[in-house]
Amino acid sequence: MSGVFEFLFKYRPVLYQEGDFTFLSPWPLGTMAIIAAVLAVPAVLTYARARGKSRAADRWVLATLRGAAFILLFFIVMQPGLVLTSVVPQRNFLAVLVDDSRSMTIDDRDGSSRAEKAAGLLDPEGDLVDALNEDFAVRYFRFSSAPARIDGVDALTFDGSNTRIGSALDYARNELQGVPLSGVVVVSDGGDNTDEALSEALLPLRAASVPVFTVGLGDEEMEADVQASRAEVPEQALAGTSMVVTVIVDARGFAGRTVPIVVEDMGRIVATEEVTLPDDGQPLVAPIAITLDTEGARELTFRIPGQPGERVLENNELHAVVQVRNRTEKILYFEGEPRHEVAFMLRAVRHDENLQVVLLQRTAENKFFRRNLDDPLELVQGFPTTREELYRYRALVLGSVEASFFTHDQLDMIADFVSARGGTLLMLGGRRALSEGGYQGTPLEDVLPVVLNEPGSSTPTERLAFVKVAPTPAGANHPATRIEGTVEQSAARWDSLPPVTTTNVVTGLKPGATELLEGTVVDGGDGVEPDRVVMAFQGYGKGRSMVLAVQDTWLWQMDHTVPIEDQSHETFWKQLLRWLVSETPDPVEAQPERESVEVGEPVTLEATVLDEGFVEVNGALVTARVTTPTGEARDLPMEWSVTEDGKYAVSFTPDMEGLFEVSVDAGRDTVALGSADTSVRVAPGGEEYRNPHQRRSLMERIADETGGRYYTAETANRLPEDLQFSGGGVTVTEERDLWDMPVLFLLLAGLLGAEWGYRRKRGLA
Amino acid sequence: MTKPSLARLAVFAGLGILVAGTGLLAGGPEKRSADRTGALANDTHAFRESAPAPVFAADPSSSVQDFPGVPYDGTYTFVRIRFNTRGNRGFRRGFGRGGGPGWAHDYPYADDNFIKILDEVTLLGPNTEGTNVLDASDPELHRYPIAYVSEPGEWAPTQAEADNLAAYLRKGGFLILDDFRSDYEWSNVEAIFNVLLPGHRFRVLDVEEPIFSSFFEIETLELPPPTFQQYEPLFLGLHEDDDPEGRLMVIANFNNDIGDYWEYSDLGYVPIDLSNEAYKFGVNYVIYAMNR
Repeated sequence: MSGVFEFLFKYRPVLYQEGDFTFLSPWPLGTMAIIAAVLAVPAVLTYARARGKSRAADRWVLATLRGAAFILLFFIVMQPGLVLTSVVPQRNFLAVLVDDSRSMTIDDRDGSSRAEKAAGLLDPEGDLVDALNEDFAVRYFRFSSAPARIDGVDALTFDGSNTRIGSALDYARNELQGVPLSGVVVVSDGGDNTDEALSEALLPLRAASVPVFTVGLGDEEMEADVQASRAEVPEQALAGTSMVVTVIVDARGFAGRTVPIVVEDMGRIVATEEVTLPDDGQPLVAPIAITLDTEGARELTFRIPGQPGERVLENNELHAVVQVRNRTEKILYFEGEPRHEVAFMLRAVRHDENLQVVLLQRTAENKFFRRNLDDPLELVQGFPTTREELYRYRALVLGSVEASFFTHDQLDMIADFVSARGGTLLMLGGRRALSEGGYQGTPLEDVLPVVLNEPGSSTPTERLAFVKVAPTPAGANHPATRIEGTVEQSAARWDSLPPVTTTNVVTGLKPGATELLEGTVVDGGDGVEPDRVVMAFQGYGKGRSMVLAVQDTWLWQMDHTVPIEDQSHETFWKQLLRWLVSETPDPVEAQPERESVEVGEPVTLEATVLDEGFVEVNGALVTARVTTPTGEARDLPMEWSVTEDGKYAVSFTPDMEGLFEVSVDAGRDTVALGSADTSVRVAPGGEEYRNPHQRRSLMERIADETGGRYYTAETANRLPEDLQFSGGGVTVTEERDLWDMPVLFLLLAGLLGAEWGYRRKRGLA
Repeated sequence: MTKPSLARLAVFAGLGILVAGTGLLAGGPEKRSADRTGALANDTHAFRESAPAPVFAADPSSSVQDFPGVPYDGTYTFVRIRFNTRGNRGFRRGFGRGGGPGWAHDYPYADDNFIKILDEVTLLGPNTEGTNVLDASDPELHRYPIAYVSEPGEWAPTQAEADNLAAYLRKGGFLILDDFRSDYEWSNVEAIFNVLLPGHRFRVLDVEEPIFSSFFEIETLELPPPTFQQYEPLFLGLHEDDDPEGRLMVIANFNNDIGDYWEYSDLGYVPIDLSNEAYKFGVNYVIYAMNR
C-alpha cells in the first residue's frame, strides 16, 4: 500500500505528515489567477455559443470535465511543493538503546530469537547501520536493570534481570546532553517490568523535541503459554496459621485443561490445587489454603508444570517469601456480661500457643473477671484508659457491652486503636452490641463495617432470629471463614452447621466493606426477613474492623446435630482470631524495598520506628543485622530519612544467592523500642519471562508521546529516512517539487480522456 | 462464711427431714464411717464397697409428664434434667416440696428462686420467663450447656440418656450434681460417670479451685447440709482430660443439697446466711461454666 502511495505521490506518506504544502511558482497566486481567468473567458464563451446537436446536459458534462482539467493544469503550473525540515548530515547525534534483558532470548514463532533479530538489525555491516551512520553520529546503549554505554551490539549479553525503559531513556538523554540529538531509537520487546512511571522519562524528551523511534521485537501474541502471573501472599504469618494465598494464572491456548498448581515451602510440597484453565484472555484466580509451621523466613514456590507446546517455561513458576513468626499474640476480649460465647471461644483456642486471649468480663455492675493475664495488675482497673495500655494488644474483641459503658475518650481511643495503631476490632453480636448497644453516633459507628440501624422499641426476644449461616463468595476463600481444605469442602461444612441466633438486625454494609458470612432467617426475626449480615470487615485507617453479628456460635459446637469430633467451631475461632492479628503492625517494622533481587543488585532496607503510643520516633538508634545465607552477620546502621517521620533506611548489595535474613533493632536513650525481622531473596529473577509477548502498545505509546514512530523488524529499514525529516537537532529547510507527481498527470490524462470518450459516445467528436 | 449455731442447724435439719421425704423413703441414709471420711479427703474419691449401680436400664415405659418450659432464645435458662431412676420411679407424677422422684426435688421453687438471684446479682440476664425440665436423652439439652441434676444417686440411665449426656459433656456441657449422699448413691454416680467419661476421676475440690472464686470469693467449703447432717459434705469435680488444672465438666455437691436451700430460702425455713452461701455456690457454678 505504501509503495503504491509512493509511486503516485512521489514520496512516502511520512514526508507529507512532516512537511508543509506550498506553491513554488515565482508568480504570485493572484497574478496567475487573473491570467487563468483571462484565458478561460474565450473558452467559456465558445462553449456557451456552440449549439449543434448537443443538448444542455452534454454541454454541462463537457464543460465540467474541461474545467477540471484546466484547474488541474493551473495547479501544476503553480508548481506545488513540500517544505521539509531535514537534519543536517553528520551534524547530529542519534542514541540507539538496545534491550539487553533475558526476555530478548525468547524464541519467536519464526524460530529466531529477539536477540538475533536485534543483532541482525544493528549489524555494523548491515544496511540500516550504514544508512544511520551516513547522517548521524550514532551512540549505542544497552539497558536492562541499569543502562550503560556500549560501543556496539557485540557488547550485548542479553542476561539482564529487568527491563527499565524509563531509566534507560533518562540515562541516554543525560549522556547526550549538550550535543544536537536528532532522536532516540529503542530496540526492545517492550517488556518493562518496573513500577517506574514512564511518563516522567518521556516528558523531558518531548519538551526538548527529541522523538523516540521504537522498534518492537517479538511475537505480539503467544499461541500456547501458561503463566503464574502473581501470587498474593501475606508478608508475615503466625506459625501454624491456615492462610489462603491467591495465585493468578494467565493462559493462552489451553482453555478447559486441568493443571495442578504446586505450592512448595523451601522445597517441601505443602499444597497442590487442581485448576481448570480459562479461556484466552481471562485470568484465573486460584485461592490455595496452606499452613506454614516452621519459624523464620520461608520461601514459597508456586509451580505449574509445563504444558505441551509451551515455548516459555520460565513463567510457570513464582516465588514469594513469608516471615513466619512463632510468638504469642495478645488479644483483649472485653465481654460485657456472662455468656456461653466466652467459654466456648476460649476453649476453642486454648491449645493455640500463638494466641493469648486476655479476658476482661463484666459479671456484675463494677465487677470484672480477668483471665489469661501476664501479671496480676493487668487490667486491674478495668478496661484500659490510656492508649499505651490498649495498644499493647494486637486485636480487640468487644462482646455484648453497651456504648455507654465507655467514656467518650475510651471510644475515641478504640477508634484510634484501629485507625492509628493498626489494630483490628471485632464486635460480636449481642443484646448490648451494635445498634442495640447504642453505638450510633459514637466514634465507633464510623469504624464498624456495617450500617447501624435504629434498634426500635422491640425487645431482644422479639428481635430474636434463627439464621442459617453460609459463606459469601468472598467468605468462601477468606482465611477466617474457609474452614476446610477446599472451597467445596468448606461450603459443605458450613451447610452442615446448625442455625444460630441473633438479636441484632444488621442488613446493610458500609461502602468498601466485605461480607464474609450471610444469614438466612429460618425462624423468628421480628418480621425482618431479608438476609442478615452475619460477618463483615473493612479496612479503617491503618487497621481493620469486623462484625460478627450473632450471639451463640457455640451452637456450632454444642448442637446435637454436630458430631463430637467435629472441629468446625474450633477451626473457625482459631482462624478468625489469627486473622485478627495477622496484619497488625509492631512498633518497629522492617521490609526490603524489593522482596527479590539478583546478585550485585543493591537493595534498600526500610524501617518504621514508633514508640509504645505508636508515635513516630526520629532520633532512634536503628541497626539492621544482615545475615548472609552462609551465616555471616553484618551490622548496618540505618539512617533517618529526614523527609518522613519515623522512617529509616540503609542499602546493601548482596554478593551471593540465597535468603538474606535481616533483623532490625531500634532503641532510644538505652530503652529498646522493638525489633523486626525481614528477609531478602537473592536469586535470578523470573520477571523477564512474565508476559513474554511483545508489548507493542507500550512501544507505540512511547513513540506517539514523543513524536516518533513505531517499527517492526521488517519496517525498520525506513527508519533512516524518517529520522531525516522527523528528528530534532541541527536541521535545514528543504523544498521538494510535487508538480511532477505521477498522480497529477494520470488525473489530467484521465479528465481529457473522459471528455474525448463522452464526445465519441454522444457523436459530438 | 459464718458458721451456723448447732441449734439453728438442728431446726433446719428437722425441717429438711420433713420436706425431703424422698431421700428418707429411698432406703434411708447410711452413716459415714470415720475411715471413709478419711478416704474422701484424699485426692480421688473411689470407694466401691457398695453394690455396683446398674448403669443402663430399660427405656421407661410409663408416660412422661410434660412440664411448662421456655423456648431457646440465646439467654441463660435454668435447666433441670429429668432422668430414669431405679424402679422406673423417675416418670411418675408429682414433684417439688417433698413429692415426686429425686430428679424433681425442689422443683420448681429452687429453680425459680435461683434464677431471680442470678438476675439480681449478675449481669447474666437469665431467662426469667421460666425454666426448663429436659430429659437426659433429649437432644434439646445441647442448647443449654449448664444443667442441674438432683438426686443422681437414684439415677439408672438408659442407653439413650448415657449417649446423649456423654456427647453433651464432651462437647462442652457442664453438670451440677446435687442432693445425693451415702456410699451407695456415690457408687451409683461414680459408675455412671465411669461410663460417660471413661478415664476421668472425681477429685475432692478445695477452696482454691477457681470455681469457688469465679464470682463470689467463697472462703470456706463448710456449708452444712440442710438435711442428713450425719454425712460430711464434700465438693467433688470431674476435670476435662482428667487434668486437675483443667476445666471442671461436672461438680458434685456430695452429701449436700444446695437446691434445698434455694427452695426454702423465701420461706424462712433455713437460715438466711446459709441460703446466701448456697446461692453463692450456685452463682459461681454458672459464672464459672460461662468463662472457662
